[in-house]
Amino acid sequence: MASSVDEMAAPDITILLVEDDPPTLWRLQDALVKAGFDVAPAATLAEARASLATRVPKVLLTDLQLPDGHGVELIREVRQHFPDTDIMVISALGDEESVISAITVGATGYILKDAFPTDIAATVRELVAGHSPISASIARFIVRRTQAQAEPPPGPELNTAKLTPREIDILWGIAKGFSYAEIAAHLGMSKQTVPGHIKSIYRKLEVHTRGEAVFEAVQQGLIKL
Amino acid sequence: MTDDAAKPVLSGVQARSRNPALRLVLYVLLQAIIVVLCVLALRHPLREPDSRYLVESFTLNDRSATRTVTLPDFVPSRESMNDPALFTGSFAWTQREEGRPWSVYLPRFTNGVEVLVNGVEILDSRRDPTANRLDRATPEIAVIPASLLREGENDLAIRLYVWGPVPGFLDRLYVGPDEVLRPYEEQRTFLFVTLPMVFAAWQGMLAVILAMMWAMRRHELAYGALAAAMALGAVQAFLQTAEDAPAHPALNATLIASAPLEGAFVLTFGILFFTRKWPRFWGPLIFLPGVALALIGLLGDRELLRQGFLFLGTPVIGLYLLLLGLIAAWSAVKRQDVPSLLLGCGATIVLTCLVHDMLSVAQIIPDHRLFFTRLSYSVMLVAIGAGLTWRFARALNRVDGFAARLAIQLREAEEKLRLSFAREQERARVAALARERARLMRDLHDGLGGQLVSIVALSERGEAGGVGEAARAALKDLRLVIDSMDDIGGDLMLALGSWRDRATAQLRPHGIALDWRAVPPGLPVYPELRPWHVIQIIRILDEAMTNAVKHANAQRIAVSIETVKDESGIAQGCISVEDDGKGFALGPDGAAADGRRTARGLRNMKSRAARCGAELEMVSGAGGTRVRLKLPQRFVDGDAGLG
Repeated sequence: MASSVDEMAAPDITILLVEDDPPTLWRLQDALVKAGFDVAPAATLAEARASLATRVPKVLLTDLQLPDGHGVELIREVRQHFPDTDIMVISALGDEESVISAITVGATGYILKDAFPTDIAATVRELVAGHSPISASIARFIVRRTQAQAEPPPGPELNTAKLTPREIDILWGIAKGFSYAEIAAHLGMSKQTVPGHIKSIYRKLEVHTRGEAVFEAVQQGLIKL
Repeated sequence: MTDDAAKPVLSGVQARSRNPALRLVLYVLLQAIIVVLCVLALRHPLREPDSRYLVESFTLNDRSATRTVTLPDFVPSRESMNDPALFTGSFAWTQREEGRPWSVYLPRFTNGVEVLVNGVEILDSRRDPTANRLDRATPEIAVIPASLLREGENDLAIRLYVWGPVPGFLDRLYVGPDEVLRPYEEQRTFLFVTLPMVFAAWQGMLAVILAMMWAMRRHELAYGALAAAMALGAVQAFLQTAEDAPAHPALNATLIASAPLEGAFVLTFGILFFTRKWPRFWGPLIFLPGVALALIGLLGDRELLRQGFLFLGTPVIGLYLLLLGLIAAWSAVKRQDVPSLLLGCGATIVLTCLVHDMLSVAQIIPDHRLFFTRLSYSVMLVAIGAGLTWRFARALNRVDGFAARLAIQLREAEEKLRLSFAREQERARVAALARERARLMRDLHDGLGGQLVSIVALSERGEAGGVGEAARAALKDLRLVIDSMDDIGGDLMLALGSWRDRATAQLRPHGIALDWRAVPPGLPVYPELRPWHVIQIIRILDEAMTNAVKHANAQRIAVSIETVKDESGIAQGCISVEDDGKGFALGPDGAAADGRRTARGLRNMKSRAARCGAELEMVSGAGGTRVRLKLPQRFVDGDAGLG
């Protein structure tokens, strides 16, 4: 996607990178450091929390399955305490189940573990620039949930009731692979407003209360009581 | 009525008795009580006027013989109508009674009378057709014109006409003030004239209802028989025996004497209704006397008809009543139902009255020659009406019950059907799922499995360079499979959207731009689209793209998605992948001429398209390659299609 964002170094952008698999961690860290980001690595929840205590990052990149807990907990904590921090999930396959559950606690997108280094840097840069990336498969997952179905489809719970018809139309367009320009033209709106709508969609999908989030997490089997 | 209708519905002890013998005894006891009550009622004298107006001493001049008689008196029957017995007597009247009209009141006589006061005729009952009927005890009253009366003794002469086999009869008569005598006359008229008419009207109505029922239910002959009986009864009551000739005297007389035929029909009804079997051999015999009498009436003379009616008809009716009573008794004991009991009691009552009337005709019991058979027959009509209504209501109840049971059974059947349908659906779903899984497993085996094996092989040879590529391919394949498993509701655009993301990411390191041209709304929706189809389509696109990147050194790849309409106006989905690479030469068979790898890739693409029912076109030249995938109207089940 729009890779026109400047390629220059961004040392002032701090990143907390949480990933328990050492090769993956090295790979991601290399890609981000090479792009000029200030990266603090962590392999466990405990390490991540310790890091948060010393420094609040601009961006949190976290894996979900961690040795001492679930990444969702970390995302929720950061979202609550540091609302200015942008959050992304690191996913091996970009499967909706894990990504959506992260979105409901405040993440705005994901990075694939095998993505090319330039893509990794570009994605983070766009996130910081205020663009919330959304993939076709995530958009598809969300819009399928907005359709009335006899029995709830498998996967995490997702409350799409707050989405406006326009936002749902945008999601449909993304899910079907149309570009922002095509969507904007089709819906009779400005291309520049599309990212704003997407950010709004993310916010609306977020589960706000702590109790709700825990309930959701338990429902999804992400937290074992 | 089926046998399970034999539920104890009778009243009193009978209902609770399980022993047939005991039930029979109780039944007989009940009939005996009814007989006793009937006899008591019959013996109960009707009210008569004050005896001071009674005139009972007469001089009878009958066939040239003269004797003094005290009424009531009988005179023998005779052949001639013009040979009346003459009763002469007298009554006292005083001038003080002037201003109060006086009447002669004759409570009962057979068959016709002329009344003369002081030699002037004041009444001829033969002009009253109702009074001419032997079976009706029609009273007569006649006001004596004041001018005829004189102080002291007045002459009173009665001419008694007798016809038919039954001896003539003249009951005690009264001469007195009209206002005193008339209420007695009216009471008798009501009892012996009006009531029979009312019952006859009812009988007519019953005849219509039963005929209707029989018309609607032809197999229920019982109703037809009863309808015939009722019709005959009604006709009998309304026909008059006028002395002056009616239009069809023979038919008239026959119908009036049709009681044996009527009885035969009632008995037929009883047999059919209670036994539900018609005795084919002796059954028709029941109608023999009635038919014989009718023939006599129509062909013979009326005297013979009267004789026949009295000596053949009446006993036969008695026999029928007895048979009916026995059948009803049998049915009442066996089934213990209301109609049997009612009809049995009715038969007993009528039979008792008939015996009484016959004894009366034979002058065995002294009485006033009042015939009650016809009147009591109305009791049986009530019994029949009540019994039929009871049976009808019961049948309705059973229909209701049946309907309710049917509704329950229907609900149960529906539920069962629903369950079995759900089971069947579940089975079909499981089978489809298993097929789907088998295909996906085969696909994973061919794709992912092969790539992993190649990774192992490469790493064993120490060629680290190829490992990354193979591993990426494996990951891509895995993502494709996972992505395809998602339910996209037949909208291939949703799968292509994800593919676009993956393809863009894949092309970026190569510095190749992906030109994506999709015109909203994109492709038609294919409800039959399965994940396996999606995988095939995406693999074809992947292959086309890989060829463009690896072998054609393309700088730009364009994917266009559109829905085109063919000649017949049918919308067809179409996906094209175009590159600006160096292309490759195609052999005459459409296969790539150069490079075995490319050739295999192309063959694979074609075969995948064919298994989905899609069409693959490929044009390649120096300016680039264009792969055009025409989607089918309906995606086919590849394995089923190719066997």
